[in-house]
Amino acid sequence: MIDFHTHPMLVQEMADRHPELLAVARDVFYIGNRMQPLETFHLQMDVAGIRRAVILPIDATTARGVKLYSNEQVAELCAMSDRLIGFASVDPHNPNAPQELEAAIRGLGLRGLKLSPPTQEFFPHDREKAYPIYAVAQDLGIPVVIHCGMSWEPKAKASWAQPLFLEDVAYDFPKLNIVIAHMGWPWVLDSVMLALKYPNIYLDTAALYFDNPWDFIAFMMSKQVPLTVFERSLRHQVVFGSNYPRVEIKNMVHAVKKLGLSEDCQHLVFQENAEKLLGERPA
Amino acid sequence: MIIKLEKLTVQSRREQELIDVTPLVENAVAASGVTNGLVNIINLHTSAGVVVTEGIECLERDVLAHLARLAPEEGEYWHNRYLDFDGRLGFNAHAHLRSILSGYFAMFPIAEGKLVKGGRQRVYFAEYDGPLSREVLVQILGE
Repeated sequence: MIDFHTHPMLVQEMADRHPELLAVARDVFYIGNRMQPLETFHLQMDVAGIRRAVILPIDATTARGVKLYSNEQVAELCAMSDRLIGFASVDPHNPNAPQELEAAIRGLGLRGLKLSPPTQEFFPHDREKAYPIYAVAQDLGIPVVIHCGMSWEPKAKASWAQPLFLEDVAYDFPKLNIVIAHMGWPWVLDSVMLALKYPNIYLDTAALYFDNPWDFIAFMMSKQVPLTVFERSLRHQVVFGSNYPRVEIKNMVHAVKKLGLSEDCQHLVFQENAEKLLGERPA
Repeated sequence: MIIKLEKLTVQSRREQELIDVTPLVENAVAASGVTNGLVNIINLHTSAGVVVTEGIECLERDVLAHLARLAPEEGEYWHNRYLDFDGRLGFNAHAHLRSILSGYFAMFPIAEGKLVKGGRQRVYFAEYDGPLSREVLVQILGE
């Protein structure tokens, strides 16, 4: 099984090598947990039945003056573990962002792109800043995970992060696979509408905004939207994501498994759809 | 009077687990140079505990199972809300409650340079929200 949405914010070995990462995690991304050795990350995956995890950095150089992590640091972390799948991030305000993305994919071996409009402060349908990046991603054949909906970061406003901004992108880049992170909560119906209409729109499950994982996922995926929509219509476009370390992987796996999706649909969500996005399985 | 403080790092590998730390405590006592005194074993986390019981697997399972019955994972907990100081939701009230039920420390005498305990007693670090890297203090006081 694959976790398509984790952040390497609390890896002790990386903080030892790059002490500035600790302040970035605390002050910008607002995570208060203790640093943990990489072994804990592996064990968290083990107890959840997860074999591999996508790690997502954010390059917020212009908006926040920081990166968590740099693309080079992602590659450095991935070199420590064959269970981690590194994605790149680039700053849409940087005119060299398309070239940096290409270098991260071709040079560092990273396998996808992460963008967070509310953290990086750009609109995802910005034709000047974002479209050149999407064009390169489409040419490279890599997926892009885009934060949509609410963010817990204090400065990250949801007004940057409405899923409907991605309709233009999905339409203009039909061969670019786009993952709407956090299912775009609270705009879950908007996200579902996009996924129903555009086969290159995917949704990840990394959403938890109140109560607990099992109650929240059940609310989002069976009350806000009937579970049958995911089972029948979107079974090939949903990927499991935990948002670790904001949520432990085991708790999100438990929550999604408890939904009542069929076994074959769970297999798609936990594994096959992610493999397809990563180019490990034919589309 | 000698007072020594040692911090042990314990890596839990499961969601719930009793980890026998008796040898680590005994080593700390032996290394302290204290021949007569006390040793305190203090867990520094609120979703973990320190337990003293007989060192057999069936009892280890029973301890965890009983605490799980008293404080089940899924319940109507006030803690299930956003915690701004942590940047995440608190949904591990069960682990905190199990920590309270089992306690956070143990204390034993030291005599003739050795930990004095019952023949069947073992000192466990109790993980209720693992796997995590945890810290346990061993404080040794004496002469």
